[in-house]
Amino acid sequence: MPPADPASGGSTRSIPRWLLVAAAAFLVARVATGIFEQRHPPIQAELVQWHPAGAGEMQSRSTGLPVLYDFSAEWCGPCQKMQREVFADRSSAQTINGLFVPVRLVDRQREEGRNPPDVGALQARYQVDAFPTLVVAPADGSQPTVIVGYPGKAALMQQLTAAGVKARLQRGPVR
Amino acid sequence: MNLTLAIGLWRQRLASPVRVVILGLLAVLPPTLMALVPGMGLAALSNGYPIAMVFAVGMIGQDVSSGVLQLVLARPVTRSEYVFSRWLAAGLGASAVSLAQVGLGWALVAIRHSPPDPRAMLLFAAGREFEIFGVVAVMALLSSLMGGLGDLALYVVLNVVGGIMSMVGQFQHVAAVSWLGQELGALLSPHVELAQIVAGTPSWSALAAYASNLTLCLLVAVLVMNRKELSYASG
Repeated sequence: MPPADPASGGSTRSIPRWLLVAAAAFLVARVATGIFEQRHPPIQAELVQWHPAGAGEMQSRSTGLPVLYDFSAEWCGPCQKMQREVFADRSSAQTINGLFVPVRLVDRQREEGRNPPDVGALQARYQVDAFPTLVVAPADGSQPTVIVGYPGKAALMQQLTAAGVKARLQRGPVR
Repeated sequence: MNLTLAIGLWRQRLASPVRVVILGLLAVLPPTLMALVPGMGLAALSNGYPIAMVFAVGMIGQDVSSGVLQLVLARPVTRSEYVFSRWLAAGLGASAVSLAQVGLGWALVAIRHSPPDPRAMLLFAAGREFEIFGVVAVMALLSSLMGGLGDLALYVVLNVVGGIMSMVGQFQHVAAVSWLGQELGALLSPHVELAQIVAGTPSWSALAAYASNLTLCLLVAVLVMNRKELSYASG
C-alpha cells in the first residue's frame, strides 16, 4: 500500500482540510440559498399536461387510461415540493403523461371560503381531507388507488407506476 | 483514491453470491419491464438507490465486525483515505452497473418499440450518478456508526421515522414536523434535478443541500472513524 499522506504529518487520523472547508462552504451556501429562494421561489417548468376535470374524464373514457387526480392547495408546502421534484422533472412527467390523464384540482377553501363545484364534488367523492392527495381512478370505474401525502419522489413514482400498470393490466392485454 | 482499498471492496462484493444475484436481477428485470410495458418509460428503471445499496451496505461496518479494519489500518493508510476509498469504490461499482442497466433498457426499448429520447436517457443516467454517490456517502456515515449490516437497518428505520414525521406534519398541519421529516427523507435519498438545471431553472438551494449533505456525511464518517479505538487483541 502507498504510504500515508505526508501532509498529515504522519498521523493516520488527520482530517483533510479541503473537506472541512468544502463542508462549511456548502453549509453556508445551503442556508443562504434557502433563505433567498424562500423570498424568490425559482420558476418551475410545467411538463405535465394537466387537463380540466371534465375533459380529463372524457379523455380517460376514450383512451382507457386512468385519470390521475392531483388534489393540492397553494398554501401546501409538500405540494410545492412535489411540483418541484416530480411534476417539473422531465422523466417523471413523461411517465405520468404516458400512463395517466393528469387532472389537477386546487383547493380554494382557505383563500375564498369555498371551492369550485367540480373540485368540491371530486374531493367529496374521494374523501380528500389532506394535501397533497393523489388518486388514480381507472377508466372502467374500478377501485381507485389513493396516495395521501408526499412520500418523496422515488416512493411516489414507484406507487404511481404500480397503480398505472395495474390499471393498464385491468384494461386488457398489453400490445 | 487508494486503488488497493477500492479493489478490496469490489472483490468483497463480487465474492458475495447474494449481492451478485441481487445485482443481476436489478440489472436485467427493470429494463425488461421497461420494454414490455409501453408508456412506462424510464420510471421502470426507478432510482439508483437499490444498486448503490448492494455495493454500499456494510462498506465499513463489515470490516469493523470481521476484524479486517485492524489489519488495514496497521498499514500506512489514513482513516480518511480509507473512508474516501470505500466511498469512491462503492460509488464507481454502482455507477458501472447503473450505466449497464440504463444501456440495456435503451437497447431493449429500441428493439421492441422506437429508441427512447437520447437526451432524456442521458439526463436520467447522469441523475442516477448523483443519486448513487449521494446515497453511498450517507451509507458511509451509517456504516461508520454501525457494525456489520447494521447500517441498512439504521437506514430503513430513519426512512420510516422520516416518513412518519412527514405524514404526521401534513395531517396535523405542523409545518416544523413535516419539514423535519422531509429533510430527513432528502438526506437519505439525495438527488439532483438535472432537468431543471438544463431547462435553466435550477433550484440552487436543492443543489447546495445535496453538496452539503454529501460533504457533511463524509466529514462525520471520517470523524467517527478517527474516534474509533480498535483493539488488535480482540477475537
